[in-house]
Parts: sequence; structure tokens; C-alpha cells
Amino acid sequence: MTERGEVLNILVIEDHIGDYILIEDYLGEEHLQINLTRATTFQEAKGKLVNTHNYKVILLDLSLPDVENNETLVKNMVSLSKNIPIIVLTGFSNKEFGVRTLSLGISDYLLKDELSAPQLAKSIYYSIERKNIDFKLNESERKYKALFDFSPYPMWVLDKHTLDFLKVNDAAIKLYGYSTNEFLCMNVRDLWVAGIREEIQRTWKENYHEKFNTSVKHLKKDGSIIHVEILSNPIDFDGREARVTQIKDITGQMEAEQALKASEKRFKALVQDASDLIMIMDFSGALSYVSPSSSQLMGISDSDMIKHNFFHYIHKNDVESVKEYLLKLKDNKRIQIPSYRIKSSDNKWRYIETIVTNLNDDPSINGLVANSRDITEFIKQEKKLIHSLKRYDIVAKATSDTITDYDVVNDKMYYNEGIESVFGYSKNDIENTGVWWNERLHPEDRERVRSFSEDVRNAKSRNVQIEYRFRCADGSYKYVLDRSYLITDEKTNTIRIIGAMQDITEIQNYIQTIEDHNSRLKDIAWTQSHVVRAPLARIMGLVDLIQSYPDVDEQSQLLEHINTSAKELDDIIRNITRKTEDVTLNPR
Amino acid sequence: MLKVLIIDDDDIVRLVQGKLLQNCKVTKEPIKFKRAFEAVEYLNSASTEHHYLLMLDINMPIMNGWEFLDEIEKMSIKENVYVLMVSSSIDYNDKEKAKKYNKIINFIEKPITAKNCEQLKELPIFKPFFPQPN
Repeated sequence: MTERGEVLNILVIEDHIGDYILIEDYLGEEHLQINLTRATTFQEAKGKLVNTHNYKVILLDLSLPDVENNETLVKNMVSLSKNIPIIVLTGFSNKEFGVRTLSLGISDYLLKDELSAPQLAKSIYYSIERKNIDFKLNESERKYKALFDFSPYPMWVLDKHTLDFLKVNDAAIKLYGYSTNEFLCMNVRDLWVAGIREEIQRTWKENYHEKFNTSVKHLKKDGSIIHVEILSNPIDFDGREARVTQIKDITGQMEAEQALKASEKRFKALVQDASDLIMIMDFSGALSYVSPSSSQLMGISDSDMIKHNFFHYIHKNDVESVKEYLLKLKDNKRIQIPSYRIKSSDNKWRYIETIVTNLNDDPSINGLVANSRDITEFIKQEKKLIHSLKRYDIVAKATSDTITDYDVVNDKMYYNEGIESVFGYSKNDIENTGVWWNERLHPEDRERVRSFSEDVRNAKSRNVQIEYRFRCADGSYKYVLDRSYLITDEKTNTIRIIGAMQDITEIQNYIQTIEDHNSRLKDIAWTQSHVVRAPLARIMGLVDLIQSYPDVDEQSQLLEHINTSAKELDDIIRNITRKTEDVTLNPR
Repeated sequence: MLKVLIIDDDDIVRLVQGKLLQNCKVTKEPIKFKRAFEAVEYLNSASTEHHYLLMLDINMPIMNGWEFLDEIEKMSIKENVYVLMVSSSIDYNDKEKAKKYNKIINFIEKPITAKNCEQLKELPIFKPFFPQPN
């Protein structure tokens, strides 16, 4: 804005000296500080305007000597003046044209005949002010245009009624992949994804004259779908009813949100549907969260369970130890509470083990997270196993057999006490290898045992039985009945052999004795049948002869024979008695 | 005619058997051998006109009854020989062994009785040698 006290530079294009002086006088009345420059021809004026100048306003007389056509003059002057207001001074004859000059960019026109100092001053003043305002308006429009063109958000202007594209910005071109020309031949409906067309159409209709925002799915030129949020305002666009729409691509955001939702869902499922019982509590056992798996594990719903203190559910013999474990969380981030009992809804005890993590520092948890697992079945199995192991141990101790346990893969042989009590080997004598055991086999039995083991492995039998002699610590041999059980892997390779070496030396000796007896008794039996019967048969024959033929000769001789035979028989029987006594009294 | 040989190492047995065979009219003159090889020698030179019934003991020194039978198998006269095994006791093994010798017509456990002699005479192969009184 030009203050009246300021020096005002004015270019006066006036060939008529009288008019110029008049203008100078008028201006002098109104402005104290004024600096006039006179040009008498268009060419002169042009020269002054091309060079650097400081004119705030131009006063232009239309009748110049070097310009025939007034209109050409005005147009040239407007283009030369840039933003300097031009005030046309004209005579009555040119009044009509004077009016027309306004549309050619002239600020004002004044009739020379009606010219007065206040009127001129006022016109100059208004012209300068109007130009300033125009300039600001232009500047503002330019800024708004830049705001539209260079906005980081895609934007466009649509026809309010047809929704044809009227204008798009660079960000929209970049996002959608269409060129400006392509956009300008399109309608915004071309971007709408099939499934949601009706919905957008309805939103648009409902807000026909209003501003609205919504989120929609748009198709890009390459066919991919993007999620966008749109904000659309009705505007006047160069006198046309339109909508300006700003687009915000939220595809990434949507994907991130969906991923987050999925992750949340997954964690929720992990916690809620897991068989583990998850609780959040404080050091005093007050529960702030119980997972729904409580009903599965304890038969108590999560909403019921949370009403009581956690310690309330624990077996009274276990509760102190659980509390002690919890206190360790003061120094440790995470602790594990080994098996303890909690009471289920049917008043039965379940064994659980719990891992507790201290998340007091985590504002979203603010407590101790306890993750408990039902190990009742495991404990039951464990008890059974311990029982069975104890029983095995008792059996192994009670049996007079030597129990062997051979780890085939690692060539490790283990023995129970039998190796000492039966065979006399002390712990220091024993080397836990297969070779050590083999060396103690009787040399005559080694090959047989070796080929037997081979057969057994090939035959894939599990229960095997073999007899052999095994050397004791004192060098003597014992007869052994070895009953073994082979444990195989899934490929039926033998990996372990559990054996019981039964000392059958006594039995063997007994059998030997019986066999000796038997053979001696057989001797006796033979003697009986062959030796005893010989004299007996003779006696019988002689007696038969005497009886059948009483008149036979040499009767006395026959009787003598009977006597001899009877004595012989007597000797034999005495001998048998003696032998029999031998068998019983002196077992071999 | 049928000649009867008694082969037994026991003197009394030979005496008793000889008397019995005479009394039962199986033979008038039984030919007795204390040793089996003596009987082998006798048969080697025996006439094929005759048939020979051998009362053979099993358990004898030097050559036992079985060895003697093996010798007979080598003889030309073997077709004319019949053997009656006579032993103080006969066991299962002896009976099994006997199956190999088709000469053996029977086993008799000592002592031989008059009844044994009568049964002998009734055997089809010996019947022709003992004509009925009437």
C-alpha cells in the first residue's frame, strides 16, 4: 500500500505539453512528494518500462503520435506494465473505447475534460490499491495451486455431477499410475473396486452437497488394489460445480493393522485355547487373570477361579513351598515350581508344575504370569515306574542269579551283586566289557556260545537260553544256565541284552551223580540177568531132569552139580549186595 | 537125518541139555562143543546129506554165539543148519540182533525143558525127522 507521504513515481505518457502540465498541477495539489517521468511517445514509454524503474502507476493518453490503433496501444502497454496499474486518459470522443479498455487490463479511465485534482488522486490511489489486492489474490491462488499440485497426498477435482476428473495432482499420478491425460478422460468410478461400488455411490449421493470422508478400495492402473481414505469437499472450480478430493493411501496401515489383529488373535488363542493354565497374580496370590483352560484343567471356570486367592487351591502340604518359590521372583525374572497339588472341582488333587515370570515392570501385565501344566498322568506313570524299578531292584537282589545288562552299542556290561556272590569277582576285578566276560567262558564252550549268539541275532528271537561254564575268580568253573532277553531298536538290531546267569553247578553235579548211579545200577541189573541166571538156570535144568526122569543114572552126580551151582549163585548174590552197597555209600 | 549140536561153555548145561534131548528122543547122540570154533570145524567137514539143529549159547568166551553165526553164513552147508538160541537171559538188544539171521528159528531162555523139546518136534521143518509111533 502506498502511503500519501511516500515518494510516488509516476510515468506520464502524454505528448500534449498542456495536458501534462495540467496533470502535474493536479498531482502537486494532492501529493507532496511526487516524482513524474514524462514520455511523449509509445517508443519512449517502452524504453523507460523495459529498463529498471520504480513506477507505481502509469497515466496513459491514448492519442500518441507513434501509435495509430488505440487497442494495440492498450494491449502493448498492459503487457509492458506488468503489474503497474494503468490509468487511461481520454477525450469524450473516445469514451466508449475508454470503457472497453477496462476489460483489456486497464485499471481506470478518466475523461480529460472532467479531470480534477481529487479525482485523479483518488483514481491513482485506488488503482494502486486494487493492483496490490489483485497481486495478493493471484499470489494466494498460486499458492493454493501449488498446495494442490505439490501436495504429498494424492488429490483431484471432480465434476460435482458427473464425477469426471477435472484435475489431478502429481501424487495421484504417482500413486495410481495413470498419466494426467489418462485421468482427464476418466471418471472416478473407474477406480472403484467392483464389490464396493454401490456403497460408495450411496455415500456420494447422501453427501451430494456436503463434505464427506470414507474409506474405500481403489484399483490402480496395474490392477492392484489399494485401501484409501478419502476426504471430499464441494468447491467452485473456475465457476464449475466440483468436488476436491484428498486421498490417503492406508494400504500399508491396513496390512499392518490386519497383521496386528492376526497376531493378537493368535496370542489370544494360544492363551485361551492352550491346555496350559495361564494366570496373572501378585505376590500375595491374588489373581487378576485366569485363562479359560482352568475349566479343562481344574473343572473350575476362569470367572469362578479368579474370585479366590490362588493359594486357596493349593494342597496345604505344598502351599508353603510354592510361596517360597514365588519369593525367589524378587531376584529372578523366571522360576519353575516343580510338581505340587491343586484341588479340582471334584475335590481330587491334580499335580501341576508352573513356570512363573515376573512381569511387574511391564505396564500391560503388571503381575506374575504363571503358566501351569497338568502333570498328574506323568506323576502317576513316574510313581509306577519307580515302583517297578524298586521291585526290579528287590528281585535282582533276591535272586541267586547273576543279572547281566549288556549295552551292545557301547560294549558295556553291568552286573548285579551275583557276580561277586556267585563267581567271587569283587568290583575291582570286573572290567565292564564284553571281552572280559568272553574270556571267562570255558575254552571248550566259547565257540559254541559265539555261534549261538550269532544264530540268535540272525533268528531275531528275543528270549534265548544257553548253558555254558563260566570261570570264577578262584579259577574253578561253574555251570551256568543263561537266560537272556534281547532288546532291539526299530530296525531290529540288538542294542541291549538283559541276562540272568543261573548257577546250575549243583544241578549238573547232581545229574552227574544220578547218571553214575544209573550206570552202576545198570551193571547190577545186567549182572542179575546174565550172571545170576546162569547158575540158576543150571539148577532149574538139573531139578527138571531129576523130576522128569527119576530113573536117570548118575543121580548123585546131578545133585552134586546142583550143590555147586547153588554155591556159585550164593557167591554171585553176595557180590551184588556188596556192589549195591558201594553205589549208595560211595557216590562218585 | 537130523544131527543135534550143543554149543555151550558151561559143562553142566551141556550135560543137562544132552540128557534132556536124549530122554525126549530128539536125538540119540547129541554132539557137544565147549568152544564155538570146535563146532565151526565140525560143520566145515560135515556132510550135506544131514540136517543140523544147533542149540547155541550167546555168551561164550573166545567166540560168542553171534560170531559163530557169522561163520556159518560163510559155509556151504548153511542151508542145512537151523539154530535155536539158548541163553540164560535174553534182552531186547539180542532180539533185535537176531532179526539179521534167518537161520535162527527161536529163542529159548535157559533151562531147556521137556516141553521145549516137544514143541521143537512139532515144528514143520523138523516134523519129517520125528515119525509118529503109529
